[in-house]
Amino acid sequence: MYQLLKEIKDICHWKELLWQMVGREVKARYKQSILGYFWVILNPLAQMLVMSFAFSLILRIPTNSSSNIPYSIFLFVALLPWNLFANSLSSATNSLVNSSTLITKVYFPRTILVLASIISKLVDFVFALSILIIYMIIYQIPISFNILWTIPIFLIQQIFTVGLSLFFSAANLLYRDIQYLLNLLLVLWMYATPVIYPADIVPSQFKFVFQLNPMAVIINAYRQTILGGGQPNFYSLIIALFLSLSILLIGFSYFKSREKIFADNI
Amino acid sequence: MSTPIITFDHVTKQFSLLSHKTFKEFLPALIKGEDTTKDFIALDDLSFTINKGESVGIIGPNGSGKSTILKLIAGVMSPNTGKVIVKGKVSPLIELGAGFHFELSGRENIYLNGAILGLSKKQINENFKSIVDFSELWEYIDQPVKHYSSGMYMRLAFSIAIHVNPEILLVDEILAVGDPKFQKKCFQKMLDFQKSGVTIIYVSHDLKSVENFCSKVFYLQKSKLVSSGNPKTICQKYLSNIS
Repeated sequence: MYQLLKEIKDICHWKELLWQMVGREVKARYKQSILGYFWVILNPLAQMLVMSFAFSLILRIPTNSSSNIPYSIFLFVALLPWNLFANSLSSATNSLVNSSTLITKVYFPRTILVLASIISKLVDFVFALSILIIYMIIYQIPISFNILWTIPIFLIQQIFTVGLSLFFSAANLLYRDIQYLLNLLLVLWMYATPVIYPADIVPSQFKFVFQLNPMAVIINAYRQTILGGGQPNFYSLIIALFLSLSILLIGFSYFKSREKIFADNI
Repeated sequence: MSTPIITFDHVTKQFSLLSHKTFKEFLPALIKGEDTTKDFIALDDLSFTINKGESVGIIGPNGSGKSTILKLIAGVMSPNTGKVIVKGKVSPLIELGAGFHFELSGRENIYLNGAILGLSKKQINENFKSIVDFSELWEYIDQPVKHYSSGMYMRLAFSIAIHVNPEILLVDEILAVGDPKFQKKCFQKMLDFQKSGVTIIYVSHDLKSVENFCSKVFYLQKSKLVSSGNPKTICQKYLSNIS
């Protein structure tokens, strides 16, 4: 815990580097392609359209509330934060390996590399979020003050993401299989999370899986507060917060214990 | 004058060679009970001190541990046993341009690399003109670095690294880049640093420049410090050992 505070102080000292690294990722992405940042919007939009077609017109998955919310919005509210989570985690996992030349040459807090890749995905997320907002205005989805709940929910999601990223990035440096394992894990994980289907169609004997899966709690809570206009389930949210903080501490201490041998193992 | 700025106290550094990098190799080896690592000793029980303001040359054949010493000083690696104490800001001139991004312009890369070396935005702003002046790249500063020639690339990297205001400068065989004119300019800059009291660790195979530039030389062989002292005698010893 003390080490974590010390690391945060270190990162503040090196904040210029953090912003430069975020800037590097963001700038490099739009410089390399013709459509540039448009891809960040186009990708989730296409993904949503295809999934909406498959799951609502063909498979006819119901949305959970009695109010007639189109499936596409129902899906998008969950898909955007899920994509943020999955993209952050997979790019953070590769962040140390991709900067191997830096790690063997110059000293700076290594956590910066992981944080920079997570923050740069956040920039993408904000762009993609604009479609959701436009979409919600077009369909005149009513919103209430309960939408403010998304702020703490989002914070829990980011704590969880940082914790896992620290763990996976350090592990990936030592064993490169981790990145492939993670891709597989993310595919399975998405189906174990109520992204494409509502949480309440799951048989009650499997509900405990959701309780232990912070992403399920988080995704479900977004839907409850944005589309349902209600309050999230406090009890589940507290468990998710507790789990996320534990993951952060575990991930961080694993990262720290491996940090000394990063340069030896690249 | 003789305050130690770098101290190596019985430092040993091992690498695990042939360690199994993937599960595919690792798991069978583990099940069969094979030794999954094979240690290679890069530095063996090394002790020395370097005083403030000294210019120390490190010579020795390939694989004798010269670069490992620089990495330990830079704080990139940690020793397995023993202690490395470094008091002061280190600027590594080791394989320059490690932090460059090819798609970004020279200007953007100056900010990026400056931040990697620990400069604040304000410090980079203040030094920006002098960095570009030194590199003589005003014409190309807004071009992506991918269009630079390797010489231009090194010139920019060197110019950034010397504006960090280091207390300890690590130089690893970098003066071999650039045209003779720029090489001379770099060497002049290092002499300036030397005069202003910066501690310089210089690794090179160019014995002549080591002899001219350094006040003290370490001779490494097979991970051990064979001898240290006067540049002329040590370099002679190294030469006679080779032939």
